[in-house]
Amino acid sequence: MVNFTIDEIRGLMDKPANIRNMSVIAHVDHGKSTLTDSLVQRAGIISAAKAGEARFTDTRQDEQDRGITIKSTAISLYAQLPEGEDVNEIPQKVDGNDFLINLIDSPGHVDFSSEVTAALRVTDGALVVVDCVEGVCVQTETVLRQALTERIKPVVVINKVDRTLLELQVSKEDLYQTFARTIESVNVIIATYFDKALGDVQVYPDKGTVAFGSGLHGWAFTVRQFAVKYAKKFGVDKNKMMERLWGDNYFNPKTKKWTKSGTHDGKPLERAFNQFILDPIFKVFNAVMNFKKDEIDTLLTKLDIKLASNETELEGKQLLKTVMRKFLPAADALLEMMVIHLPSPVTAQRYRMETLYEGPHDDEAAIGIRDCDPKGTLMLYVSKMVPTSDRGRFYAFGRVFSGTVRSGLKVRIQGPNYTPGRKEDLFVKSIQRTILMMGRYIEPIDDVPAGNILGLVGVDQFLLKSGTLTTLETAHNMKVMKFSVSPVVQRSVEVKNAQDLPKLVEGLKRLSKSDPCVLTSISESGEHIVAGAGELHLEICLKDLEEDHAGVPLRISDPVVQYRESVNGESSMTALSKSPNKHNRLYVTAQPLGEEVSQDIEQGKINPRDDFKARARILADEHGWDVTDARKIWCFGPDTTGANLLVDQTKAVQYLNEIKDSFVSGFQWATKEGPIAEEPMRAVRFNVMDVTLHADAIHRGGGQIIPTARRALYAATLLADPGLLEPVFLVEIQVPEQAMGGIYGVLTRRRGHVFSEEQRPGTPLFNVKAYLPVNESFGFSSDLRAATAGQAFPQSVFDHWQLLPGGSPLDPSSKPGQVVQEMRKRKGIKVEVPGYENYYDKL
Amino acid sequence: MAFSSLEAPPVLSTPETHIFEDPTPTTFNPSEAALSPEEVYTRYEIKRTVQEIRQGKWRRIALQFPDDMLQDAPKVFEALSSGLKVARETEPSEPSDASDKVDQLAEEVQEVDISATRASAEASQESDEEKLFILADTSYGACCVDEVAAEHVNADVVVHYGRSCLSPTARLPVIYVFTRRELSIEHVLQAFKGTFPEKAQKVILMADVTYAHHITSIYELLNKDGYTSLYATSIIHDPSSPLPNRTIPKEVVDDHTLLQEYKLFHISDPPQSLLMTLSSRVSDVFIYPTNTPTSSPQALQASTSLALRRRYAIITKLSTVPIFGILINTLSVKNYIHIVDHVKERIAAAGKKSYTFVVGKVNAAKVANFSEIGGWVIIGCWESSLIESKDFWKPIITPYELELALKDDEERIWTGEWRGDFQGVLDEAQSQRATQQANGVSKEKGLQTGTEETAAHGEDPDSEPESAPPEFDLRTGRYVSHTRPMQYMQYASPSDGAIGNGSGGTSAPKSVNDARGPGASLVKRFAGDLATVGGQVSPGAEFLRSNRTWKGLGSDFEIAYDEEGSNDIQGAPVEEGRSGIARGYTVGDDAPKR
Repeated sequence: MVNFTIDEIRGLMDKPANIRNMSVIAHVDHGKSTLTDSLVQRAGIISAAKAGEARFTDTRQDEQDRGITIKSTAISLYAQLPEGEDVNEIPQKVDGNDFLINLIDSPGHVDFSSEVTAALRVTDGALVVVDCVEGVCVQTETVLRQALTERIKPVVVINKVDRTLLELQVSKEDLYQTFARTIESVNVIIATYFDKALGDVQVYPDKGTVAFGSGLHGWAFTVRQFAVKYAKKFGVDKNKMMERLWGDNYFNPKTKKWTKSGTHDGKPLERAFNQFILDPIFKVFNAVMNFKKDEIDTLLTKLDIKLASNETELEGKQLLKTVMRKFLPAADALLEMMVIHLPSPVTAQRYRMETLYEGPHDDEAAIGIRDCDPKGTLMLYVSKMVPTSDRGRFYAFGRVFSGTVRSGLKVRIQGPNYTPGRKEDLFVKSIQRTILMMGRYIEPIDDVPAGNILGLVGVDQFLLKSGTLTTLETAHNMKVMKFSVSPVVQRSVEVKNAQDLPKLVEGLKRLSKSDPCVLTSISESGEHIVAGAGELHLEICLKDLEEDHAGVPLRISDPVVQYRESVNGESSMTALSKSPNKHNRLYVTAQPLGEEVSQDIEQGKINPRDDFKARARILADEHGWDVTDARKIWCFGPDTTGANLLVDQTKAVQYLNEIKDSFVSGFQWATKEGPIAEEPMRAVRFNVMDVTLHADAIHRGGGQIIPTARRALYAATLLADPGLLEPVFLVEIQVPEQAMGGIYGVLTRRRGHVFSEEQRPGTPLFNVKAYLPVNESFGFSSDLRAATAGQAFPQSVFDHWQLLPGGSPLDPSSKPGQVVQEMRKRKGIKVEVPGYENYYDKL
Repeated sequence: MAFSSLEAPPVLSTPETHIFEDPTPTTFNPSEAALSPEEVYTRYEIKRTVQEIRQGKWRRIALQFPDDMLQDAPKVFEALSSGLKVARETEPSEPSDASDKVDQLAEEVQEVDISATRASAEASQESDEEKLFILADTSYGACCVDEVAAEHVNADVVVHYGRSCLSPTARLPVIYVFTRRELSIEHVLQAFKGTFPEKAQKVILMADVTYAHHITSIYELLNKDGYTSLYATSIIHDPSSPLPNRTIPKEVVDDHTLLQEYKLFHISDPPQSLLMTLSSRVSDVFIYPTNTPTSSPQALQASTSLALRRRYAIITKLSTVPIFGILINTLSVKNYIHIVDHVKERIAAAGKKSYTFVVGKVNAAKVANFSEIGGWVIIGCWESSLIESKDFWKPIITPYELELALKDDEERIWTGEWRGDFQGVLDEAQSQRATQQANGVSKEKGLQTGTEETAAHGEDPDSEPESAPPEFDLRTGRYVSHTRPMQYMQYASPSDGAIGNGSGGTSAPKSVNDARGPGASLVKRFAGDLATVGGQVSPGAEFLRSNRTWKGLGSDFEIAYDEEGSNDIQGAPVEEGRSGIARGYTVGDDAPKR
């Protein structure tokens, strides 16, 4: 039975100090959803028997079938901490001992990391789940990094401890060492991304920020829990006890003294952690799994565990599960850890405000966010859209950072491209209803104050994927989320029956909404394109599209990658183009922009909306630009945000101001469709060297300048040793040593190369990191499995762009040349790349 | 950076090498050997022309040549005038035609006094002589009859030479001379048999107008060879026929979809728009090329799917464009006024804005001058309306494509059908209107919802009205706001309760012309308000207001990179300039006051 009411939850929403917004993050298959179950079970939403298997937060059928989480799912839980000491121990302000936990279970597969990003944005704390056997994996690192850059405080739970005991039969000390190593590697990552504002957030078992347990069996413990028990028994201070129960602390039974050295009289002592914590657990396991009935009974009485009548009949694993769950309920350990160590919205928003808000840090909206003020101006960030049962409609899922949102409130909806004072991407709309997201159910609620996570009804038409909702007219946007994955793999879809086209179009719109990362578009050659982060992501998206969003039979092409056009050198001469009336001349050169600058632009570190002075400073200090050049960046492109720059290097040109807009239009046009294969350009810096213009305004209008600018930019590109860039995956493969050989064979065949190879300490497993061109990655997983007898598990994530090797794309006999010809053929344009002469005019 | 080459002042005049540059490619080989008089006589069908001119009793005759035939113009002129002279001398002054006589008689009976003047006119041989004019440099496509140019010389008739789109004309009678081209029938037959080994295959024989006279002979020869299901087209003047300007098989007349059973054999390369139209109507198109020098050319199967898909991409791109430009690229096609009105109406009904432009030959520079226009609709003849060049800043579509672009995403179906002529669009609209009237459905769906919304907002005039939802741009996969600015205006004027009662196009101006409208009362300006010009919401002005960075009045030389410093760069002070006429300007106050 659900042990709380919506009214109770609503009541708690007004006490932001008692709210914990947290996401569960981890590598794929480390047991996030399973662990979440134990919390859901504690709230009475699912039965104890089902917990661990139900995976309540995997709401979709295919999630259940495949056993992986695809979408992040939120649930609100009510938790109570025993009055007294526990509550007093919380290092921040609290208000009573009732707590509201807003929990988001996120997917672990790298292809769905955008879901994690969306989840992290609305939470303040993260429960990092690490598989005790596998240790810290790629995705653990990725999500942890994301969490830390969003200023999210982590706590760690080491999961699947039962496996080490049952399958690997490790000794206590080995287990301790495994724990220590895992925690160490987590801390290494945390230390790498140290953020002053967040402070030291490394995790320590002796501080209670690490839990150990088994999600499947529903038990978990923290050192603190044991410390509380033993503190009473030994009559020592609990905090002291905690310190002693981890690390090199030993209890010498002979002297009855605590010591730091592991030996006494030449005999090894048992580590306190092993002796006081692992020992009881090992005993239970031993007794139950070896069917020692008597021992079990004595243990049960000793541990004060009472079994229900029907449970006494159980044996083996079932009994173990029941006993352990009663002995060390996972929910207790986790809730305690979360409530005590994760920040409340009040605490978190104080330091998160600067990373959350785009505008000045002292305006009304910023102050409202900083203070988590329910009476302040409304600032609400929608981080993703959740499909409703009503087809084609969505809940906007987000968090109130400031103010209070209620049904019927008229709000300003600001899309990601909104700039204050402009009208683009700005809408005014009343909120129909506010709701509470409860996994697969929803609960209506009248209003929601700052610090809470919620769903909104009635604004879905205005938001594609994310956006800011506010009541303040001068409010800036909340920062747009940056995803760690990019949609670099695409497939085209077409309807089998032309009459179904509207359904496909509608389906594509819905698909685009339902996933934070997927892109749907129509290519220049009229194909409907769906682009995703990887093969699995695309597969899921297309399945959704065909079965759900569009609901019509589709023909799906093979996956292809999108290329980028770039330059490798400076233009061999200044490109000159004359306007159609021959009265205006534009002189342009192209040069590589540099990989660092391009990446900074793509990651938003260098932003077209930044203050131009600050931006010039970064370019000059970090990338060696000339400051005056850096201040004269006319624009970014394509789409005014891409990683190509147009820089004015002219000296005292009359009327230049007037043609700037036209030139910029031409630049946007040219960078969107490059000269080689009409692919977007990347990492090119164009310099406007000189301009001669006709004295009459009518002869230097847009009609003369826009097409000419495009021609000049094309000529400059073609003169600067153009090249094609292809996307490259970073592949991380976990593989046992004996299967390593197979990996190399597969990678070499696919133009991949290994750049790092590390043995995971204490295991025969190796971590192999390699770069693999996305274009060669299709079918890589199955190929790899075949070559390694199923022992290698790859994770691919887009990493960078690399020059397509093999010669100039202008030479049809080279490999890039063939790729270009193939692309041009597919696009229905002339197969030969036009030479620069087509765009270059002689003086 | 200084350019050494720039030390001398640049030459800004247009060098003469550019003067006669014609960017439109020609289908014919212009470098043909000069024709002998006999060839001129047959190719330009002098005999038929003379006959028709005499029959029509036209006195002033305009000869329109496409650019690549201009070299023959003087010869044709000579041949025609001598032909006409001979005809005048041999024929009696009264035409001997029986029917003409009847006409003549009837006229004489009814209008005796007129016949008297005519008689006097006919008495003078001099005035009876036909006057010929050569029209060169046509304003639009060479395929269209340039009626306006012909009217400049007060022509009674236009003789159009070369290949023609056969678009119906509004004002003048036209004699079409397609100019006959030679064709090696043997090769055609060979290629045909190679392409269609199956004798029972349903094939339509079609040829470019310049080869059309060969069709019957080919048809007969093929029939003799045992082909049973051939159909030979003949030329009619109907661009909206399922096979543009050609007759169609009888069985197809009632059900055009039956054309899908046919394959089509086309002699000579058809223009792209014709090819796209054809390939959407018949199952396969095979082209017998005539401009290849090889002795035994093969008929090639034409594939337009790529071209059609590109058009589809353009259509979807334009579906979210708020401002359209209507390019009138013809002044002679019949019904062009109707289609302009129709297009305007459709654009207005979709809540979008249209501006109308009249241009001569379209080129990139002309249309790129209007950066506020998101897409162009071209009103021209069906053959020249398809402009595919990548050089255009914003795409150009045909009225048929516009209909698709303006359709809701829920309704747009792309079957690969394509048509270039706009008559079909008009007809469809007509029939739609008829059925709508029959059903009593007079309101547009979009407008209806608009009315409801407006009514809802009327209650709360002080607050900002709720916005219309953005539209999903299929092309880029993003949301685009303000795609229907004119509809927005309807939302935004709550004072006008009558909005939406009329039909889509007319309600907008009505509300603005309302006397209470502009200036009459103080209205709060919302942050999201659109720019207005003379009380009219003007998306064009709005574009310039929000997207143009150059506002004039500033230094010509300095770009204000420094945003704080930008206030320091003073604009030139506003001073009173010179006034008066060239005979003597006055500056400022020096003007002698009279």
